[in-house]
Amino acid sequence: MKRYRDSPRASRARRLSRKPELDLVAIPDVRVPQLGPQNRLRVPEKSGTLIGIDMIRLKSLTKTFDGRRILREIDLQVDAGEFIFLTGVSGAGKSTLLKLLYAAERPSEGGVWVAGQRVDQLSRHKLALLRRKIGVIFQDFKLLRHKTVLENVTFVLRFHGLGAREAHRRAYQVLKRLGLHHRQSALPEVLSGGEQQRVAIARALAYQPRLILADEPTGNLDADLAGELLSLLCDINYQGATIMVATHDHALLEAMPARTLVLHQGRIEYDGSWPP
Amino acid sequence: MAHALEEGLALLRRRGTVSAVLALSLAVPLSLAGFTTSLGLWSRPFVALENKASVVRVLLHPRMDAGQRRNWINEQARLHQDWTLSEVDREALEERLKVWFPYLEDLLEGENAIELPTLVEVKAGVPEEVSVLTEGPAVIAVGPTSSIDRVLGLVARTATWLLGCISAILLASAFSLVATWIHLEVYRHADEITIMRLVGATESAIRSPFVVAALIPGICAGFAASVGTWYLVRMVAVAAEAVGLSPPAFPVWLPAVEIGIGVILPVVAALLTMARHARVGDAE
Ligand SMILES: Nc1ncnc2c1ncn2[C@@H]1O[C@H](COP(=O)(O)OP(=O)(O)OP(=O)(O)O)[C@@H](O)[C@H]1O
Ligand SMILES: [Mg+2]
Repeated sequence: MKRYRDSPRASRARRLSRKPELDLVAIPDVRVPQLGPQNRLRVPEKSGTLIGIDMIRLKSLTKTFDGRRILREIDLQVDAGEFIFLTGVSGAGKSTLLKLLYAAERPSEGGVWVAGQRVDQLSRHKLALLRRKIGVIFQDFKLLRHKTVLENVTFVLRFHGLGAREAHRRAYQVLKRLGLHHRQSALPEVLSGGEQQRVAIARALAYQPRLILADEPTGNLDADLAGELLSLLCDINYQGATIMVATHDHALLEAMPARTLVLHQGRIEYDGSWPP
Repeated sequence: MAHALEEGLALLRRRGTVSAVLALSLAVPLSLAGFTTSLGLWSRPFVALENKASVVRVLLHPRMDAGQRRNWINEQARLHQDWTLSEVDREALEERLKVWFPYLEDLLEGENAIELPTLVEVKAGVPEEVSVLTEGPAVIAVGPTSSIDRVLGLVARTATWLLGCISAILLASAFSLVATWIHLEVYRHADEITIMRLVGATESAIRSPFVVAALIPGICAGFAASVGTWYLVRMVAVAAEAVGLSPPAFPVWLPAVEIGIGVILPVVAALLTMARHARVGDAE
């Protein structure tokens, strides 16, 4: 990981950000050391990172829709603290793979483990608790229609146990970081696509998840905003969170070299740094 | 908890009319049930009369002493094998008189208390036969044999039953109304529930706003029903006083029971409905 982060490309990506340091992530600033399988170490949970354990593990995962095999016997392992791109043509199954990770879909065969738990076998309650550690940026945003921008972010924080005032403060901060604080009392339907997307991003980041699954997070953003988001994700990753970004935007892959998975015809065709 | 309250209130605000109708649909049967209870308590003596349908009351001469009365009773029991005779003691008689005719209290108490004749209750297979007793010198009066109290008792009991049944039916329909409403709301919010599940809401976080939304009209209905019952009981009390009967009481525990039912009924309806439709909004 560090290898990439110190490359000139990565620092250029970070320079794209107008605001240098991230102020909304409360995870202590634990730098990710150079890790290999031989020197795995485990930082205590409360420091916010789970270095050295698998954050994601897929074992011969197959997903079939109406007899069509969308994913075929996929094996994958992602360490805690990694930054991963998932790419492939439209319809390759990127969203499906992410859905399997946050258990919105069940695998047809094989198993899915996230943070050490087999997600397709969890009880409802345990699944809810696991999902609180996962921030999902949905491709279709999934905002609550009746709630304002600010409420869309605060309501998640509220059932994560924050008091009303603290939730407001935090939501406002995150929205401000994404340049949306002036739209805080608007309803989602009056927002532009990019604004809606940023609300969805704010909601996913606000509760400081340890795993962020972003499904086309820049699909509706202009190049500047996309660069800024990438740099934000980069900061959060730097502080210990694991990040998986599904995208078919090659500019994004270029801007931030990281481990990249290419899905093709249901299999991971390529797994390595980008460009190949 | 605070969050559930906020969300529940928001839900109520959006469905103001429906929740008002719900509250009303609960309040009406509740106040009717409360009123029936008060009436039932009040008319219990009537109903008791009706139960002892074949009892005829006989007044003995006040000058008879205890020995004479016992002899008379034994004599009658010997003559009419199928009768059961029992003397009502003076205190019980006074009690009955005071309950039904409060203005007699002055006559029954203190130094100038009047001498009450002895009341004997005769339980007979054919009540009409008891009227032969008027011929003897010991008896000053024989109560109605084709009993008016029987009719009164029947009326009181039928009225209580009827009102009770109507309240029960209305309460049951209020229950199903709440259940249906929650059902509709749960489906209407299916998308939101899906989203909440995806971002880590537990079942209690998802369901508690709906419970709150059912609970609040329930509490309001309980209070409104208490006021309604109090008003109905008062109307009867005024009428009773006008004809010289002691007024029915409004038991102090009644509002508590009404509010309690007002809370429990919709909450149970909401919980059952949500348990039945637990899979609404499931992502997979
Ligand atoms: N619920 C479903 N039922 C049937 N088919 C589905 C379902 N969800 C996805 N698919 C199919 O699975 C395939 C992969 O879909 P998926 O959304 O994962 O693609 P994607 O890689 O995310 O594409 P895009 O880049 O356009 O978002 C598509 O052909 C889609 O039609
Ligand atoms: Mg997709």
